[in-house]
Amino acid sequence: MIKEKVAIKYLILIYWTFFFLTGVIDKIVPDVYPFWVGADFYTLFIKLFASLEIKNPIYATITLAGVSLIEVMTFVCYLFALCGLFFKNESSSDQWFNRGVSLSILLFSFFTMGDQVFGDRFTLLEHSIFWIILVVSWVLFNHNSLLGEQSFELRFTGEVKIGLILWAAIVLIISYFNFGFSKNTFANKFKPVHGEEVVEGIYKFDFPFLADKRTLENTISSFENKHPELEINYLYTGPNELNTKKKTHMLLYVFTEEKPTEVN
Amino acid sequence: MLGSLCSCFCRLFNRMINLDVEKTTKIKANGNLIRYLILIFWALFWLFNVLDKFVGGAHYLFVGKDRFAQIQRYFDSIGLGNPMVTNFTLTFTAALEAFALVCFLGALYHLIRKNLESNRVWFFLGISTTLTVYIFFSIGDQIFGDHSELLEHALFWFIALLSWIIFNRNNQFHIFDNFSISKKPILLFTLFAIIIGSVTCFSIFRHNQIAFKERTQAVHAKRISANKYKIEFPFLAGSSAFESTIAKFKEQHTDLRINFIYTAPKPMRLGQSDGLIIYLQTEEK
Repeated sequence: MIKEKVAIKYLILIYWTFFFLTGVIDKIVPDVYPFWVGADFYTLFIKLFASLEIKNPIYATITLAGVSLIEVMTFVCYLFALCGLFFKNESSSDQWFNRGVSLSILLFSFFTMGDQVFGDRFTLLEHSIFWIILVVSWVLFNHNSLLGEQSFELRFTGEVKIGLILWAAIVLIISYFNFGFSKNTFANKFKPVHGEEVVEGIYKFDFPFLADKRTLENTISSFENKHPELEINYLYTGPNELNTKKKTHMLLYVFTEEKPTEVN
Repeated sequence: MLGSLCSCFCRLFNRMINLDVEKTTKIKANGNLIRYLILIFWALFWLFNVLDKFVGGAHYLFVGKDRFAQIQRYFDSIGLGNPMVTNFTLTFTAALEAFALVCFLGALYHLIRKNLESNRVWFFLGISTTLTVYIFFSIGDQIFGDHSELLEHALFWFIALLSWIIFNRNNQFHIFDNFSISKKPILLFTLFAIIIGSVTCFSIFRHNQIAFKERTQAVHAKRISANKYKIEFPFLAGSSAFESTIAKFKEQHTDLRINFIYTAPKPMRLGQSDGLIIYLQTEEK
């Protein structure tokens, strides 16, 4: 028998525990490493403070450390709440959750103040959204018991078996298509892109979504090998406005001209 | 005739959402309408996500999102460039999404059969799977450092949580309970809808006739100094318009060579009223 309200509590707690755990790891690992990219908060804080004419890095560093400390405390609260729920100590779990959520709401309120000071309206929206999600999580965590002690039991009835068979069939079909798609398209990651001459001396390259800097380098080198008579004198990246909405990854125009013939 | 059409529409609507329609077209809704709407949303949401995984890449009538490319790039950024890692992650994600789809379809089936207890259980399983999917995605977003995706996934997690509470407590909201539609407001509504709709459609079709050619048409380059030209593209312009503009420019100025193109950045444009603006720098051949 699984109680709905307990399951929802678990899902809310797991979400916020991992949210703050990964947030804390992101502060511990400040740069790009194998298995972790994260966001560079140090650079962000330095730039934000520089925009206020506070160029001494100590202020940004102290602020970042302060924010990280609150995040660590919040994470510990959620972790204790999760452990309390797991060990069936519901009142302790509720208390720790309330502490965690209060700290989180306080933290996001603090962030929104900062966003206003630094004039970053998009981040203000982002932090306000997280703030309201926290408030609603709090209400649902504490008051979902008003729904009553609804619970459900998983039994292998006929319809459950049909559901599982349908699910397995969908997963098998998707896997087949996924693996096939990967096999057919992965080569695009490194393969040079074919250029099309759209105007005399101007070639257009429509890069696939998998393409990155290596594809660009291979494309240019392959183009130079194919057209030894041409000299690339300019590269122009097609801005987003020229793209067909979500269909185009990157457009590149290569402007060329005939190499001057050498006179012996 | 209009009245009978309206009452026909009401009866059809009633069949779909289990409403009691009286002869005077008075409608009394029960609380299931919001449940149907929530279930249809989530079933279609996951159906299209699953379809997107089948299709892979942009095709005729379906562009979707190239998830393989997106996830492969993410894993490549953390040093796991092997496509098998991407394939297994994508398959695992698709399995969770397909499970949520099956649960919501099961919930919809039980709601149609008016088996509310089973409907609740299937819906709860669907919502739990949806919440789990978004927990999993949010962890990934933090690892890969994509905070706009983190916000998007947090919002979906939140929407799923709210859907669950509204689905279970919809009887206390009184949103669609007991509203009535008599013939006079329906006639007025139809009249207004037809008049305003006709004006809107006329304007849209007229604009289509005038403006569609801008998608590919060459744009005039305005000389702003001795060797610099400004080109202001309309909003509809795509890559073909850019190419024909450059071709026309080269044709008109055979003595000039383009040696630099500068794209005016967004802060240099007038609010939302300017489209793409480029500056060509040229030199004598």
